[in-house]
Amino acid sequence: MAGHGALLVVTSSSAIAVLFIFFFIFRDAIPFFKERGFLELFSGARWYPSADPPSFGAFPIFFGTFLVTCGAVFVAVPLGVSAAVCLSDVLSFGFRQMVKPIIEILAAIPSVAYGFFALVVLAPLFQEQGGKILGGAVLVVGVPLSALAVLIASDMGSNRFSARRRKVARVALIAVLGGISLALLLAAASHFSEIGIPSGTNALNVSLILGIMALPTVVSVSEDALQAVGRELREGSYALGATRAETILKVVIPAAGSGICAAVILGIMRAIGETMVVWMASGNASQVPSPWFNLLEPVRTLTATIAGDMGEADQVTGSARYHVLFAMALSLLVISLGCNLVSERIVARATRRARGE
Amino acid sequence: MQLSTRKVLDRSFSGLGMVSIVLVTCSLVVFLAPIVWKGFQAFCFRGTIEYRRVMLDQFDRGNAARIEKEADRARAARQPLYDMLEQFEEQLKQDRSLRRKYRRPLRELKMRITGLLGPAPGEPQRVLIREQYGQTRWDRARVKLQDVLYKVSYDYSDPSVPGIKVQTPRAEDFKGTSLESLFAYLEEHVEEMLQPRRTVYWRFLFDKSMDAHFFGGIWPEMLGTLYLTLGAILFAVPTGVISAIYLVEYAGQGRLIGLLRTCISTLAGVPSIVFGLFGLAFFINAVHVSESKSVLAGSLTLAVLILPVVIRASEEAIRAVPLTYKEAALSLGAGKWRTIITVVLPAALPGILTGIVISMGRAAGETAPIIFTAAVSVGQPLAVLDTLSQPTPALPWNIYNLATEHEAVDEIRHVQYGMVLTLVGLVLLLNLGAIFLRARISRKLKG
Repeated sequence: MAGHGALLVVTSSSAIAVLFIFFFIFRDAIPFFKERGFLELFSGARWYPSADPPSFGAFPIFFGTFLVTCGAVFVAVPLGVSAAVCLSDVLSFGFRQMVKPIIEILAAIPSVAYGFFALVVLAPLFQEQGGKILGGAVLVVGVPLSALAVLIASDMGSNRFSARRRKVARVALIAVLGGISLALLLAAASHFSEIGIPSGTNALNVSLILGIMALPTVVSVSEDALQAVGRELREGSYALGATRAETILKVVIPAAGSGICAAVILGIMRAIGETMVVWMASGNASQVPSPWFNLLEPVRTLTATIAGDMGEADQVTGSARYHVLFAMALSLLVISLGCNLVSERIVARATRRARGE
Repeated sequence: MQLSTRKVLDRSFSGLGMVSIVLVTCSLVVFLAPIVWKGFQAFCFRGTIEYRRVMLDQFDRGNAARIEKEADRARAARQPLYDMLEQFEEQLKQDRSLRRKYRRPLRELKMRITGLLGPAPGEPQRVLIREQYGQTRWDRARVKLQDVLYKVSYDYSDPSVPGIKVQTPRAEDFKGTSLESLFAYLEEHVEEMLQPRRTVYWRFLFDKSMDAHFFGGIWPEMLGTLYLTLGAILFAVPTGVISAIYLVEYAGQGRLIGLLRTCISTLAGVPSIVFGLFGLAFFINAVHVSESKSVLAGSLTLAVLILPVVIRASEEAIRAVPLTYKEAALSLGAGKWRTIITVVLPAALPGILTGIVISMGRAAGETAPIIFTAAVSVGQPLAVLDTLSQPTPALPWNIYNLATEHEAVDEIRHVQYGMVLTLVGLVLLLNLGAIFLRARISRKLKG
């Protein structure tokens, strides 16, 4: 029984670590809130921690974190979920074994290497060829998606006609809608390709890289969720005459919905907590972009602020400037704890439901 | 919906999935290609005579007689250049109006030539090592040659766009003087002046750096990363494996265990920079494991970071051991503890090793936790005992530092790429090892 207790003590070391992390971050964050209150940090717009008198308005920094995280989600979620669907339901076993190591390698590459790539390769590229890249991206993403949309829309539209004229109507609709959407896409692409990007180290660059970094998490967790959906559900859907796409979209993904939600939350956590990439390539400008969704402007995030300002603040340990960084770390901790609890709750509920309780 | 549309949609849905897989693969390729290609050039490049002289003078390597002979040849090719300059200076001394006109362009020209070829013969010895030699790499020498041949200015006449770069030949500054022919001579004979030759510098990994990474290799960083990784493993593996044994073999389903599991997953989700702050506040400021930053404090911080990874991997590996193994051992009269030590752990070992190897890659590549706890920008390779009290340079931190804070970021791109390639290569090797191990396990389980 003594051995049992010793094992429990060793095992609880991770719990102790979590406790200590919260305690020590909390302890050093308290003095800041005591001295300056809550309002300034979360709503003030001016971040001049070393000015006299100092100003600790970190709203643009919180907003920067929010913005790049949203950008990363836009990259990682569609790409990751469709890759996961492809891995679990479309590809053959042998092919899957070949793709999985690629995802693992993406997950294993150190964040500082991603940051270096963003700063040294991607940023100059954006600065010199930014408009063309944006225009190309609009076409690459837009053409297949709008082709699908046109197909579906013209099919639905042609249903209104009588059976005899349906075929003609469909062809006509495809031609008209396709022409319109192609024209719109080309206009959008040429509009985007006129844009000059003044600085390559901006929110878009960081969002892209963070999205790639969050991708492996999203793929592997949502693939697990999709695999967990039983064969019976799929076979039942096929037996009713559904195609594979319909089965996946209307049966498998709804059934795996909570797991995919958890995957997205974990991906968000990865993007929020990432330091090196945003520190190196976000431009570190503490400002809210105008308009607020303009990803082409430099931003600053919580993690980068902690990493960047600690070196200077370290010499004046005990000042508000030192403690404000702990206050930011505390906010990060609370966010990640919240995300973690939510995703755990979701997964637990899903397992309970799967067991039929 | 019509059948044909449904079929098309089905096909295009599969196509969309394939496209996303292709995109993921492409992003890996796009990322790795420049890193591998440019990083490779840190090891394999065209080195000039200046490179061989650095190696001979600073590292005592190479055939002294042969290098001297080459240097003589280079000197002979450079001599006419310096003669021309000297002749022109004589002319300036005699003519005041000429001097007023050409003094500044001449000074800049000489500075650029020094940047390419190193100090002119007869100049006093410089203090910084980087100023004692010309360009050691042919690719850098070509850039510097452009600096000699062309002046760069920016055209701001159109206010709507940022300044446009304009290159004008420097020869135009000296039109009609005896120096005009210098530029053609330099362009034609620069290879003889620098004697570029294919060089393989595998000792890049094992040389100490000189003069803020202008010369030499990355050994201090390599060693620092090695210490930090091994230290983290040393602290995390025993704790992690024991925790996993407890969670699988002893723990029930109680509330306490549920709380423990929540804690482990919370720990896995804590942002890495917060680990750095925690390491600073706890290991250094509260427990005082060392006076200030040290390898020990960094290793401990990294150990906390990789603990959840080790626990999860070991747990999975122990769970995967077939129940029959345990039952056989128990039926032979072995106790529970004995069964775990002699049967379960050996059977789970490859899986546990896989987890350890992956977490090693994680620890080697993490930057944020070591910024405040272990890493410094410049330092010597440490002896083993010094790790208890001394900070160290480390690959991830120095990649950041050289790429953003170094005084001459563009001059040492090859060193940065070399470091990134080394780090990525190290991490990928560890992960390939893990993939290989896992493949062996699954083969073994299949029989």
